[in-house]
Amino acid sequence: MVKKKSLTSKQQKALELFDRKLDGRLRTHLNSCVRCGLCGESCHYFLTGKNDRFIPGRKVDQISRIYRRYYTILGRLVPKWVGAKDLDNKSIEEMADLIFGACTMCGRCSIHCSVGVDVSFLVRTARSMLVEFDLVSPGLQSTIDTAIQTGNNMGIPREEFVDTLEWLEEDLQLELDDKEAAIPRDQKGKHILYTLNPREPKFFPLSISAIAKIYYAAKEDWVISTYTYDVTNYAYYSGDDAGARELTQRLYDEMKKLEADMLVLAECGHGFRAIRWEGPRWIEKPYPFKVISVIELIAEYIRSGRIKLDPSKNQKLVTLHDPCNLVRAGGIIEEQRYILNKAVENFIEMTPNRVNNYCCGGGGGQLSMSEYNERRIQSGGIKAEQIRKTKARIVATPCHNCIDQLMELNKEYQLGVEIKTISEIVADALVIK
Amino acid sequence: MLKIEIEGKEFEVDGDGFLQQPKLWNEEVACIFARTDGTGELNEKHWAVINFIRKHWEKNDMAPMVRKICQHTGLRLREIYELFPMGPARGACKIAGLPKPDGCV
Repeated sequence: MVKKKSLTSKQQKALELFDRKLDGRLRTHLNSCVRCGLCGESCHYFLTGKNDRFIPGRKVDQISRIYRRYYTILGRLVPKWVGAKDLDNKSIEEMADLIFGACTMCGRCSIHCSVGVDVSFLVRTARSMLVEFDLVSPGLQSTIDTAIQTGNNMGIPREEFVDTLEWLEEDLQLELDDKEAAIPRDQKGKHILYTLNPREPKFFPLSISAIAKIYYAAKEDWVISTYTYDVTNYAYYSGDDAGARELTQRLYDEMKKLEADMLVLAECGHGFRAIRWEGPRWIEKPYPFKVISVIELIAEYIRSGRIKLDPSKNQKLVTLHDPCNLVRAGGIIEEQRYILNKAVENFIEMTPNRVNNYCCGGGGGQLSMSEYNERRIQSGGIKAEQIRKTKARIVATPCHNCIDQLMELNKEYQLGVEIKTISEIVADALVIK
Repeated sequence: MLKIEIEGKEFEVDGDGFLQQPKLWNEEVACIFARTDGTGELNEKHWAVINFIRKHWEKNDMAPMVRKICQHTGLRLREIYELFPMGPARGACKIAGLPKPDGCV
């Protein structure tokens, strides 16, 4: 444990947090970078910005230099020899700019790293330290605060959420010409508890109609909680473990309250990563229920014949964007391809794809951090070119966060495409008897 | 902080182009935002949406649900997306001079 009288209370708190986190895994990754530079060519910030500061290894250095300074003998005695630096105001400013403003934690660099350094893990650890300095970007912090205070990250009042679901349910009944078609709310003992990204009820409810139609066709026994439904966890992005734990625990409690068998996560990359993979560590217990992505569920419906699709209903050329958190970090790789091949007539992959895909530039909480907007749009240039080369008219992606970034790229780079969720495309192809 | 100039007056906007001081908004600002974000010239339907969002924000300090926009303007959901290619948040709310909503928008 580092204790120095010269440290301010914030510095002391940040170093204490570092100390608590410093286990074998963290130590290994902090000590492993061999400065080969291979990661540069894998990073959308470096490739579009051509600034050496953006090389992922440099971002790793933002935290490893602190480790060297306070935890190694050479770093303590002759810091300059080993590139160790004090945790002072200047170095923290540089750290915040790179760690929040020039990384989407997409993990592509780790795939190309010669020694397998988990860069996004280190970046998140550095973000956790910046939480102690109150240096989380205001837009990102406000999104977390809203989620903690109101139960969803857009501050939607419960009665307005209920109104929206009722409105969508009426539309669904009209469309299907069936008074029994429903968007079930708050009922106990259902098979599936389904979550949403708050931007769906607030601004983009067509994706809710789409999944409700799919559940109808599959005769699924499902429910939405009108109290706790938010699939996002922006505290995962900010590095705030206490907030991340709180948001995970709420979903856990809601599952228990409603006695559902399975938690199904909406099309949300970071939500899947946070809840499916990181959640049990935050709440320090395994889930006693199954947690899957709705993409896995839809693929299973098709495989088992529970829903029938007619691909001729989707004639336009469709390409697929792989959300980093769902694909590279989450392991959901082939399901979305299987679905699209069954749901559309013409499907084309963009290159590269799957775990080697480029980030759209909107991940890591970037969409909520307006101060880095210019970099975000610039870093999305690679994605825009990938899309353009496919000549596709529709870009499908199972992530609402990616959708918003792709909508902006569509305008900025004049791609002239439509952006859709996987559910929307599947709903359009449904054959309902 | 970025600045835009309208009729000799300077307006501060955030990195995403949302007004920093939403109270300074006027119809001219709306027209300029609409011209620069691909929405184009504003027609009656645009104004119905913008005015409703604006009033809702002034009263409740938040953007309305898209359901309410449909209900109060009589427009269908798909029409809203056609009218505002950047969507209700980055499109309509920005043009109506609201601060950027939290979340994945």
